[in-house]
Amino acid sequence: MNPLELTLGIMTAVGGFVDISELVFAAKAGSAFGYALIWVFAFSTIGIIVFSEMSGRVAAVAKQPVFNLMRHRLGLKLGLVTLAASIISNLITCAAEIGGVALVLNYLTGWPYLLMAVAMTALLIASIWVLPFKWIERAYGLLGLFMITFVVALVAIHPPWDKIAGGFIPQVPHGLSTKELLTFGYFMVAIVSAVMFPYEVYFYSSGGIEEEWGPKDIMTNRMTAILGMGLGSLLAIAILSNSAQLFSGINVDPEIPGSAALEAAIPFGKWGLVLALLGMFFAIAGAAVETCMANAYSIAQFFGWMWGRHKKPWEAPRFTMTWIVLFLAALGIVLTGVDVMMLVEFAVLFSILVLPLTYLPLLLLSGDKDYMREYVNGPVAKGLGWLYFAIITAAALAALPLFFLTSGGNG
Amino acid sequence: MKPDGKLKLVSELLDLPLLDSEGKYCGIVDDVELVGGAGKDLELKALLVGPGAYAGRLPRLAMWLAEKIAGNRITRVPIDRIRSISGSVQLDRPGDELGLHRSEKAAGKWIPRRGAL
Repeated sequence: MNPLELTLGIMTAVGGFVDISELVFAAKAGSAFGYALIWVFAFSTIGIIVFSEMSGRVAAVAKQPVFNLMRHRLGLKLGLVTLAASIISNLITCAAEIGGVALVLNYLTGWPYLLMAVAMTALLIASIWVLPFKWIERAYGLLGLFMITFVVALVAIHPPWDKIAGGFIPQVPHGLSTKELLTFGYFMVAIVSAVMFPYEVYFYSSGGIEEEWGPKDIMTNRMTAILGMGLGSLLAIAILSNSAQLFSGINVDPEIPGSAALEAAIPFGKWGLVLALLGMFFAIAGAAVETCMANAYSIAQFFGWMWGRHKKPWEAPRFTMTWIVLFLAALGIVLTGVDVMMLVEFAVLFSILVLPLTYLPLLLLSGDKDYMREYVNGPVAKGLGWLYFAIITAAALAALPLFFLTSGGNG
Repeated sequence: MKPDGKLKLVSELLDLPLLDSEGKYCGIVDDVELVGGAGKDLELKALLVGPGAYAGRLPRLAMWLAEKIAGNRITRVPIDRIRSISGSVQLDRPGDELGLHRSEKAAGKWIPRRGAL
């Protein structure tokens, strides 16, 4: 294990953890329910760590990407259903990320939102075209570390640390009306979905193949998943806590991403605002790249095409065409003028509906001795995997009723 | 598993990715060609690759849609071109020789060969 590589890998995972949905729901959750939803972030983070570790292990041991193995395991028909669900979920999420990053650019420059969406999509396509995989992953992940501004801002406003610590204990606040209880339930489901987006696992495992992981990298995979995602989750928790401290008592609903950036502006003024917006810009742009690439990986792997950005774009032409077309399709959704926050709501809602379908094959594959040999799931991975699968299935069943009953968490 | 060994189930082969002798992905085993009949041995003759081979594996409406999107091309890979079978099927020839990279090459004509590190 190369310590420098490991450190860079962990920092990349930290910087790449937060996306537009986590940003929006963390800020809204803090404003609406104080510190009471911190535990849902912490709990969901363990879930994404469990499934990311599994997917990285499958990539390292079976040396096959998840979607190749998924099709062999599920067969053509069910495999196609899973692929279609995954494509729709990732495409909506990618559109939300492009819209989010265009909004941040709009805040930073004052230039028109739709023009910024077009310019940003062109920039993202150019960056993937020019840079090889490792550089893409590192550039967006490491620059996303500007998000640490939110942690520093939290320390600077001297929050009630005892209440933040108390937020890690599973709880439902006392004295909520039925309507508020349903909204709390909707936020729980939305946070689980935002933290456990399926694209993260597909991108992570395909990245393992891009970097030619083998069984010797099992420990690197485990450390990156646990520390990178664990520490990354603290960024989201810092956004929630800032929001609870600054917005909760005065009935501010941080509906748009710009409100979250104010969390850094309050203690640090203009430079805090700029640093927070830069962090949001790189984190959301990185998520746009990941969602689009995850979609292209899935399609190419499902049909057995050449794939990967360790190759030159012309060495895997169908894969290259796929990610370019997917970026343009996501931009097309944004250009219809649909509200970014509505895209975020749809991304979260659709992702939770398809989560069980996308995680079950991974659970089966990583538990299959034929593929995994001595690296098959141990009792901890197996137990946690099935526990989280049961939870995301319950969340998927509850998602639609809660969405309609609470008008998308708006009471 | 070796290709001359006993294939317990055709399902072990179906939907496995194909890698050519240069290690390039060149499709998925979409179906297999079997010969034989009542009272005769059933023998595996070839792997079938391409969207046309989905027929019989997909409902009619889904197959119609797949044909509209991807066409109905089928490439036949003789069974003696298989070097070994594990998590993927390794072939003993470059994909080009077996006609497996045609779509990839057609797409390649649209991709400029410059600008990437």
